[in-house]
Amino acid sequence: MRAYKFLRPDGTGVFTGFHWPLPDGGPGGWVRADVDPCRSGVHACRPGHLPLWIGRALYEIELEGDITDDEMKLAASQGRLLRRIDAWDAQAYDDYTRMCADRGHELASAHGLDNWEAVIEPSVPEGGALLGFVAARIAEEIDGQQGYHRERAAQTDWLIQRLALQA
Amino acid sequence: MAHSPLHISCQEVVELVTDYIERTLPADDAAVFEQHLNFCDGCVVYVDQVRLTIDAVGNLSAEDVPPETTDKLMAAFRDWKRQ
Repeated sequence: MRAYKFLRPDGTGVFTGFHWPLPDGGPGGWVRADVDPCRSGVHACRPGHLPLWIGRALYEIELEGDITDDEMKLAASQGRLLRRIDAWDAQAYDDYTRMCADRGHELASAHGLDNWEAVIEPSVPEGGALLGFVAARIAEEIDGQQGYHRERAAQTDWLIQRLALQA
Repeated sequence: MAHSPLHISCQEVVELVTDYIERTLPADDAAVFEQHLNFCDGCVVYVDQVRLTIDAVGNLSAEDVPPETTDKLMAAFRDWKRQ
């Protein structure tokens, strides 16, 4: 199956530091690992997972073998990077961060959440992962877990549209 | 606010860090732990410090600690209990 994976700008895994074989005129090499979610395996995202794992470099990845699919991530026994999503560049990253900040302002001001309003702009330099979380947390304050999930879904829609991802 | 299964706080990272490093956290808890690390540089630094500390002192045995250090530590803990 096709999925997506965030890596550091140098092509290493965000949590593992693993040096992924990068695409170079064709897919990168296959990586194999036993599946044990969050401990072992090739971890990746459906589009709906992406806001939870925002990073600087985004790749399309092909997964094969044993695949587990849960609310927060995919984990597979084999994967290879197919291509870098070039549209996820520094400008798109900044635009995503700004979109999340603006959405946080909109929600916080509409509901008088001054304490949340105050943390938004100082958080912007930390980037999209934090601002996406802040916007979702504000929505959760207003409308519980439904609000949180709704905000994450809106972030997903933004990414799908901006990056022309396959939903 | 009640604890949410969707995310954890920096305080909870402190409480769970050993289980995370030892890979004994349930998968869902490990996922929300890593989501927190994905946006919280302070906690990333903290987890790295704990990991480095474990690497540095994890192989110490009681015989590796000088007697005077043991005495100081024991005294400190005795005082701590009295407070």
